[in-house]
Amino acid sequence: MTSGANLSARLLGQIPLLTLAGLCIVTALLTDRFLSPINLSNILVQSSIMAVIAMGMTFVIIGGGFDLSVGSTAALSACVAAMVMLEAGIAAGVIAGIVAGALVGLVNGVIIAYFKVNPFITTLGTMVLVRGVVFLITGGAPVEGEYGLPSSFVVFGSMRILGIHALVWVPIILLIVLSWVLHATPFGRQIYATGGGREAAFLSGVPVQKITASTYIICGALAGVAGVMLAARLQSGQPTAGEFYELTAIAAVVLGGAALHGGEGTLYKSVIGVFIMIILGNSLNLLNVDSYWQRVAIGAVIIVAAAADSLRSKR
Amino acid sequence: MNAPADRSASVSGNAITVSGLSKSFGATRALHSVDFSVDFGETHALVGENGAGKSTLIRILGGVHRADSGAISIAGREHSFGSPHEAILAGVVTIPQELRMVPALSIAENIALGNPPTRALFGLLPVIDRRRMREEAQHYLQQLNFSADLDRPVHSLSFAERQLVAIAKALRLKCRIFILDEPTAALEDREIERLFAVIARMKAQGTAIIYISHRLDEIVTLADRCTVLRDGKCVATRVRGRFTTADLIEDMTGKMAEEVAAEPLEPGQPLLEEIDDRTDRMTVRRNEAIGLAGLLGSGSDRIVRRLFGITGERPQIRIAGDSVRRFARPADAIRSDIGFVPGDRSLGLVMNLSVRDNILLPSLTRDNSPLWINRKAGDVVVRELMELLDVRPRRPDLRVGSLSGGNQQKVIIAKWLARRVTTLLLDEPTHGIDIAAKMHVHALIRQFTRDGGGVIVSSSDIPELARICDTVLSVKNRRIVSRIDRREGIDENRLRASLGGTH
Repeated sequence: MTSGANLSARLLGQIPLLTLAGLCIVTALLTDRFLSPINLSNILVQSSIMAVIAMGMTFVIIGGGFDLSVGSTAALSACVAAMVMLEAGIAAGVIAGIVAGALVGLVNGVIIAYFKVNPFITTLGTMVLVRGVVFLITGGAPVEGEYGLPSSFVVFGSMRILGIHALVWVPIILLIVLSWVLHATPFGRQIYATGGGREAAFLSGVPVQKITASTYIICGALAGVAGVMLAARLQSGQPTAGEFYELTAIAAVVLGGAALHGGEGTLYKSVIGVFIMIILGNSLNLLNVDSYWQRVAIGAVIIVAAAADSLRSKR
Repeated sequence: MNAPADRSASVSGNAITVSGLSKSFGATRALHSVDFSVDFGETHALVGENGAGKSTLIRILGGVHRADSGAISIAGREHSFGSPHEAILAGVVTIPQELRMVPALSIAENIALGNPPTRALFGLLPVIDRRRMREEAQHYLQQLNFSADLDRPVHSLSFAERQLVAIAKALRLKCRIFILDEPTAALEDREIERLFAVIARMKAQGTAIIYISHRLDEIVTLADRCTVLRDGKCVATRVRGRFTTADLIEDMTGKMAEEVAAEPLEPGQPLLEEIDDRTDRMTVRRNEAIGLAGLLGSGSDRIVRRLFGITGERPQIRIAGDSVRRFARPADAIRSDIGFVPGDRSLGLVMNLSVRDNILLPSLTRDNSPLWINRKAGDVVVRELMELLDVRPRRPDLRVGSLSGGNQQKVIIAKWLARRVTTLLLDEPTHGIDIAAKMHVHALIRQFTRDGGGVIVSSSDIPELARICDTVLSVKNRRIVSRIDRREGIDENRLRASLGGTH
């Protein structure tokens, strides 16, 4: 009886991985181009940027929040990084990009945690506002300078370390570090407690406002990292980059089994969710599915994931 | 809604009969083969300690829960309610302790809510007939001798007024069986008199009234019959004039009266002294358990919440006779080694986290470095506490939300023991948990005081306070009105009297 319940619970916990495996097998059977090295490497690079954003989103969602502003934030960071880099060098550019992202997160966090404004509305506002700022500071044109971004930065966007694309190492390292933060530090456990029962956590002495605000700062900083990666890949700061990233990231986190009401979620499963989203898009491309239909399919997947979330919380 | 003919016909006769009603929640048996009947025109009181099964019984009668077995018949017809709506259709309405109304809507709208009178606009579109709605509201409020501006939003009314609106709403639905759950708990004397007049009038009109109250003196004067529940069983049904409050207490507590009352302890050094000037200023010392007795709305629960820094009053508190601190938030109180067991268990626990994570939550930052949680040390603490408090099942990885109420309460206490607090503040610590768990919680509280801790308990359960406390303070309108020490003997009736019942 109990072992049966355990088994089904364990299987339920692995649904993201099983979905991913199923998706890969079906696509590989339908088209041999899927397993080609170029395609696989392409998927990895695409996923790596989204994975960084989704990890930040996981922090916010576990903490009981929501962040729509990550796509705009990534674009802001890309442009800020490119602009500063042209003036003051690579290191300053990278740091400036990440700090810009963290600042957007700080604004979100303070408004949501201390002024108690609804996170959906707050981040909807910053999403539009930050995009506006990006266009204002860039004048709407890509930031690449007269002679392009510094060459060693551009090289980072395409070089390989140990045979793996340099950009892919970023989420790998972040996944290890952030998983440790989430699971092995008091701060991480307090994020789960805040998202799972804000009032109860508060009554247990958890500084819930600080915790909530810090999840948005982490999310913003990670969107900043993603923006810098994007700049390296596109060899410029693109003001229009990162559109709809927030939706893909949220869908990926939910596909990865995080609960939208907070208190539940795992980073590596969110990364699996990212792979599901990216591979789904990739396979629809390879199968020459009409791009309009692709949107329909991806939208449907998001709804199915949300429905699964609500069924699960009813138990 | 038109009342079925058979309901309006009988003024006397049997209104509701319950036979062999049983209900279990998981392993907890809430009701065990309960028999119970009420006639039209009768006021039938239902008494019992917290957790005796009263609320389960009235929830079944009100269609919230479904019984596992047993039968309910209303005016001779058998019923089994699948929802509160079905119960109302059969003429049974519950006026709960916390009235459920739409605060922003007017009195008239609340009375009509769910089934408003309609008319056809242009002979076609159904719209609410506001004039008839007001007329009906007026009509039923008049029956209750309550005159008010019908357009006033309900949130501007006092609790007593809202209660009358709730009753008017039930009258409009032609309900003939009224269940009043602790209707006087939040009322002042004058309001109670008015409510009793309303009850008397409804009774004269043939309504059956099931009346739940902790105020036993009320029941002695009001009830035609009184049924006593204990441990989910019906232990006695007594008839008006043939019982006293003492009889009821004996019925309610049964063996529990024999539970060894705690031996008195000699209080030691002060642990926590409030130094602001207040009418309900508190001090608690080592080896001391203080009880706060008060009716709903008296402010007794507010005292413990204030001392934990939740109410925003920022009390100034001297800790262990030494430094003075202001408690602006719970974290301040916790830092001064104070723990709080809230009345609502969902506030005491993060329900989707494990038992283990909940027990360790308050001590996370103190017992670990910011960079690393020592899992092994945590496991040892959790295992020891689960053993000591007999938390069942012994599964630290289980979601705390899947535990029974009694075990959840033990986990809340465990998390403060893990934090090694010196003072425990408790609000209704045994509300809604079964007798065995209740005994256990009482024993834990006594053990905690014997070990040098200080305790302040706010409870509406008078026998509970008499059992576990050294000193009981009665709170009324946010004032401490009397103080009874164990050495003088804590007499429950005297305590009840000090709280000011109906007279």
